[in-house]
Amino acid sequence: MGRTLASALAILVAVPSLATGQVSVQGGVLVGRGEHRVVDADTLVAASGTLFGGALAVTIGERFQIHGEALGGQLTTAAAPNLEDHSVAEAQILGGMKVRPWLIVESGLSFRSFANSLARQHWTTWRIGAEARVPLGFESVAALLRGYWMPVVGVSGLSKPDVALAVGVGLDWRGRRLGISAQYTFERYDFAPSNGAQRLEELSTIRVRVGVWWPPTGRAKHSA
Amino acid sequence: MRHAVVAGLLLVIPGAAVAQGNTADQLEQAARYHAALDVERELVLLRRIISPNSPFVVTHEQRVLAYKYLGAALVVLGQRDSGIVYFQAALERDPFVDLEPQKFTPAELAAFSEARRLTFGLGIRAIAFDTIDPRTERLGFTVLTTHAADLRVELRSAGAPAGVVLYQGITDGPRELRWDGLLADGHLAATGRYELLLSGVSELTHRPDSVRLYFSIQQDYAPLEDTVTALRPEDLLPEQHPATMARAELFKSMGIAAAAFLIPRTVANGELHGGGRTFADGIAGTASVVGIAGFIFRQRHREIPGNIAANVERRAQRAAANAAIRDRNQARLAQTRLIVAPAAGVGP
Repeated sequence: MGRTLASALAILVAVPSLATGQVSVQGGVLVGRGEHRVVDADTLVAASGTLFGGALAVTIGERFQIHGEALGGQLTTAAAPNLEDHSVAEAQILGGMKVRPWLIVESGLSFRSFANSLARQHWTTWRIGAEARVPLGFESVAALLRGYWMPVVGVSGLSKPDVALAVGVGLDWRGRRLGISAQYTFERYDFAPSNGAQRLEELSTIRVRVGVWWPPTGRAKHSA
Repeated sequence: MRHAVVAGLLLVIPGAAVAQGNTADQLEQAARYHAALDVERELVLLRRIISPNSPFVVTHEQRVLAYKYLGAALVVLGQRDSGIVYFQAALERDPFVDLEPQKFTPAELAAFSEARRLTFGLGIRAIAFDTIDPRTERLGFTVLTTHAADLRVELRSAGAPAGVVLYQGITDGPRELRWDGLLADGHLAATGRYELLLSGVSELTHRPDSVRLYFSIQQDYAPLEDTVTALRPEDLLPEQHPATMARAELFKSMGIAAAAFLIPRTVANGELHGGGRTFADGIAGTASVVGIAGFIFRQRHREIPGNIAANVERRAQRAAANAAIRDRNQARLAQTRLIVAPAAGVGP
């Protein structure tokens, strides 16, 4: 009953907005490379691999947007199969509000899972930060700068990290219907020392996203 | 003192009114005597009127009428030549003067015709206040020659060297002319002062004469709308980026490249020896290339297409608005009416 009511409410809110052309949607595919590095008990484990995913962004009016992203792939440590090889899967949803024409304040949740044949580790993070869009020399090209602080991080089997932050830099080209962006992201997690050893972890990616806008428009939209 | 002035005025004003009325009364009485063929009494009255010693005020019209009746009375008395002289005096003062056939005898009419033959004069009947719609109405003028003459009637703006010729040719007697309100250039007469100039040469005596009638014209139309003012520089968007923008774009791109380059080297934990430097360097390199390309592009293309298009649209909107206003004003001007009024000033 409650879900039906919520769905009806969402439709009532969304349909007039769509009708007045205040909502735009962007869907896209992601492909990239990821590198996961962990130091635990003075042992460095580095794994990398190709990631694939998709993204969906909804822009409401001139100020608000919601975007979700799902990404996954296999990260390997060496050419030959190894026990340290693992897969990563991630889903993220962020809501943002434009506070300046070039600045969007964002917050949202990320769910990540690292898994190999022996175990699975779940990450849940809540992040808050901002994205700045800097127009470059070409009319439709902008640079992206992102920074997030993650005050809430839950990792299965581990305590909350002392340092948890994420940054990103990228370039975004936007046509009337099509958009392409390339972005470098970096996340750093420093866990508290335990028994004389400290666990340090970072995940860096480079992602290329190809997206399509609906409805087609020349207006500037925030990208996912 | 004040009482004396008031008393004086009370005495003088009725006196003047009586004097004015006396001339008219005397003329009426003279006309009655003429109808009754009591020309002796008529002559006494008329000579009293035209005498310089007349105690009464005699207007121009009254004097012309007196001369007319004097001429007629003398013809009745058999003094035809003297009668003709008085008729001429009347015609010289007012070429429009005429004898009504139902009131005067054939002998009087014949003498009057002779006077007209001997006297050459041109006349224009005074115009009254009038308003005409030039699309459907015409302004009428009545001109007259006392006998056959080669006449030219020209209407022109006062002081202008030339105007529109309303009539040219031989005419005798009165002639009605109609004017459509257009000048020689085909445009409607503008608001201003105009003159109707009659010039003619007698066909009998070859004596020239001319006369002018001044009148004013005022165009009457619904108030016109003002056109939209010209766009000021501040009403338009800048159509070119400033010359320094290319450099600024280059610096921005280099800043982005530097950020990408520094993040894995500063934000990342050094113990991990990583941070995706290769990825970051890739973005830094791409940003650098985009920055250099943008710098070159901006050096060569400073125009802002969006603003140019917006300005073109604003100019087009203004032009369209002005065109519509001009059309509406044109429609109002097409319904212009001319208000005609007599004006002071009479030429020779």
